[in-house]
Amino acid sequence: MHKSNWQAWLFLLPATILFSIFFYTPLFENLFLSFFEWNMISPTMKFVGATNYKSIFDSAELIKIFYNTIFLVVVLLFLNFILPYIYSYILGHLINKMQSFYRSALFLPSTISLAVASIIFLWFYNPIAGPLSIILGDIGIASPRWFKEDGLVIIAIASIIAWKSFGYNLIVMLAAMVAVPNELIEAAKLENASNWTIFKKIIVPMTSPTALYVFTITVVFGLQYMLVPVNMITQGGPDQGSSNLVYVVYQYAFVFFQTGKSAAFAVLTMIFYVVFLVAKYKFLDKKVHYEN
Amino acid sequence: MKINKLKSLWHLPLLLALAVQFWPLIFMVSTSFKDMNQIFQASLNPLPMPATMVNYETVLNNFPFFTFLYNTFFIAILVTGLKLITSLLAAFAFVYYDFKYKEVVFNSMLLTFFIPFTVLIMPNYLLMSKLGLLNTPWGVILPQLVDGMGIFLMRQTMRGIPKALLEVAVLESASPLQVLYKVVLHLVRPSVIAVGIFFFINAWNEYFWPLLVLRDKAMYTLPLALQMFISAEGGSEWGIAMAVAMLTCLPPLILYFVSQRFILNTFMQSGVKG
Repeated sequence: MHKSNWQAWLFLLPATILFSIFFYTPLFENLFLSFFEWNMISPTMKFVGATNYKSIFDSAELIKIFYNTIFLVVVLLFLNFILPYIYSYILGHLINKMQSFYRSALFLPSTISLAVASIIFLWFYNPIAGPLSIILGDIGIASPRWFKEDGLVIIAIASIIAWKSFGYNLIVMLAAMVAVPNELIEAAKLENASNWTIFKKIIVPMTSPTALYVFTITVVFGLQYMLVPVNMITQGGPDQGSSNLVYVVYQYAFVFFQTGKSAAFAVLTMIFYVVFLVAKYKFLDKKVHYEN
Repeated sequence: MKINKLKSLWHLPLLLALAVQFWPLIFMVSTSFKDMNQIFQASLNPLPMPATMVNYETVLNNFPFFTFLYNTFFIAILVTGLKLITSLLAAFAFVYYDFKYKEVVFNSMLLTFFIPFTVLIMPNYLLMSKLGLLNTPWGVILPQLVDGMGIFLMRQTMRGIPKALLEVAVLESASPLQVLYKVVLHLVRPSVIAVGIFFFINAWNEYFWPLLVLRDKAMYTLPLALQMFISAEGGSEWGIAMAVAMLTCLPPLILYFVSQRFILNTFMQSGVKG
């Protein structure tokens, strides 16, 4: 290791400048803007104190938006955390053929743009002629209007995000799964341990750091990816049914032109994330088994 | 024998996952080769009979497809190149030097990976407006260069280089830049290429930020252009939309096919703690 502060900083300079301008300054600018009333065009901004926060907490909208956010996160955790977890175990330890084929093939959708995915699923869920509605029709069920009904809309949006993220999460999880030595599992099998016992007593503890990472990116990426299908297909509708804490930040700024409320929502969302990340480190990391 | 048979049962859930993941893609491909009639009459049939090129002809003749293609390529290449350079330099500083607040700086850069960019879009938009970069490729490119993941991945690979190799280079009185260029870059080249392809695919696929920055259709990238072919009222030109979708995901797919081993290994590393 070389000790030269100024040389190190010279190498860090481009990244530091970019990160300060496009990440850390905007972070504080949000805090500043959240105390003003403005529409992005008017030359003057009006200081309104905590009014923006107050109007958010007074509105019935917040409860719905918060509920939608949690609902989306729960569906995503099932599709993009629990499923890849189980699948990586099957792929890593329960089969012994075609592993690399499954790996490559299941990852493929992750390379595709969410805009493309949204178009495909918009057709797939089309209630009149889409493939899903035809299949449902054949077994005598009338297709619901997936993107126009409360609750269903969140599941439909989540399925698009899940389609894109599943492969990536699987691959990351698989890396941890295959790092569990096979000898350990074979030894357990000799002692007549069931697959379930092996999973619970060996696999879960030994893969927990990576599982925690996949858990985190499922939430963080999920709420980021959500923007594309929501904006292309529902614009937050029906009646804010597919809106959430992250989408309202966009809506208030670029649809309603209320920068103050948008910024206030951004600050609240940031707090939500910080609480989530701190809780993750304080609470979950302690329970996680790290090697070394 | 019995054990083998039981083992092969585990292929069932995997085949099911394959079907779910590939089904939408098969519909994209087949719909793009169908005419309007077939799309609505035989939406379940994956084989277009007869296959028609009419959707692709419409895309190429009636829309500035090559302009969209050029715009997407231009932005993706610049994002990739600039991000590679900045993250290589930063990662080198973290591996080669020991300096004050190293951990703090590294974590504050990694944090950008965990905070959704969306909460920062309005201030960034206002900044681009002040700089006069709205509706320009640079307005799209600059904020995308903030990416903690790139620095993390580069640092992970560089850590694998034996310390002794770096020391030898120093003994031969090579400057830090020479060490980076001649020793480090030489040894981590496969990872750099993989990370580069990963950057390129992400930049190519980007939809949301370009949507805010780019106003003129002549500036649009391919993912943005997709929006032009669907309408909420249901009167969408599905065949044309699927043809554009096909053309949009072709470059990332080709890149994935030629370099999947590198890409998968890089992705697998991204979950490793350290």
